[in-house]
Amino acid sequence: MGIALDIYRICRETVRAHDGGRLQSVRVAIGELAAVEPELLAFAWEAALAGEEDAGAELRIDWCPALQQCASCGEVKERAPGSWLRLCPDCGQPLQVSGGDELDVLEVTFAQEEPSSEEDPPLAAEEAR
Amino acid sequence: MKQVVTVRRRALEASETRAESLRQRFAEAGTLVLNLISSPGSGKTTLLEATVRRLASDHPCAVIEGDVATERDADRLRALGVPAHQILTGGACHLDARQVGAALDQARLLPADILFIENVGNLICPTTYDLGEDFKVALLSVTEGDDKPFKYPAIFARAAVTVLTKIDLLPHLPFDVPAVEEQLRSLNPEGIILQTSAITGEGIDAWCGLLTERLTTKRKRV
Repeated sequence: MGIALDIYRICRETVRAHDGGRLQSVRVAIGELAAVEPELLAFAWEAALAGEEDAGAELRIDWCPALQQCASCGEVKERAPGSWLRLCPDCGQPLQVSGGDELDVLEVTFAQEEPSSEEDPPLAAEEAR
Repeated sequence: MKQVVTVRRRALEASETRAESLRQRFAEAGTLVLNLISSPGSGKTTLLEATVRRLASDHPCAVIEGDVATERDADRLRALGVPAHQILTGGACHLDARQVGAALDQARLLPADILFIENVGNLICPTTYDLGEDFKVALLSVTEGDDKPFKYPAIFARAAVTVLTKIDLLPHLPFDVPAVEEQLRSLNPEGIILQTSAITGEGIDAWCGLLTERLTTKRKRV
């Protein structure tokens, strides 16, 4: 929940720095080793925005797996999601883990209302008909 | 009108900035700071009791305890004459830098040679929050099972030291120490693995030796 609130704070700061508007979506990167469960974060995000001016804004998560790379042959080794290799399946040497600690706000999308003077005339014209 | 703005900011930047200023404060005080993380009941407080019994006469220690409820852990350390402050999280599953900063302001914990921060018992959320520590220590008691490093990779990948606790119970358990070491090396090739029993005292010398060595290194650097 704290993480959702932090993400939302960054979104609001970003929108405010660009003359305001209503948040539509935010794209975040979550690494496999960030100890953040995407589904729980999505749930917390909804709860964090409930009752706020941006309620309903979408949280888009880029999942970033950690890489297991062989120290000996240098290749990044394939593995099933959520499972780990103990040793390099090809040369039996130890593997190095890299990446997967992402917890970043990447991109904020928001909508600014058109100035009302431009929006009103067509409506008024419609009503007059 | 729709606008898309590229941001690239750490989601926890506010918390990480606070952690950095704590780190600065600890550096100025010359205090080595450890963030101890494990599941409930793996023996964090018991290891700390054994540690301060061994170290506190030569190296003043202080402790910050994080728990959902009760002052019990801080009381156990105070009984050994160690300044201890209990943070009650009231349901929250981890400590954060703001709480640690408030604890330092409220309680007289510094100066100390070593500050132990015992996080809330939980292998997941505490991993994410930097407390300004020099390094994280993960504890894994042999009663928890030998499959835990791969099940909770985030903490075991980040802890500079993993301590296998309660090893006096190994004869009674199907706990495969080499299998655990292999998982830990796979997640964290540079990590140090220690084995301790607070009951028999096995491994406590090596653990305390590591702490004093790290303290000396930190003070040379400052």
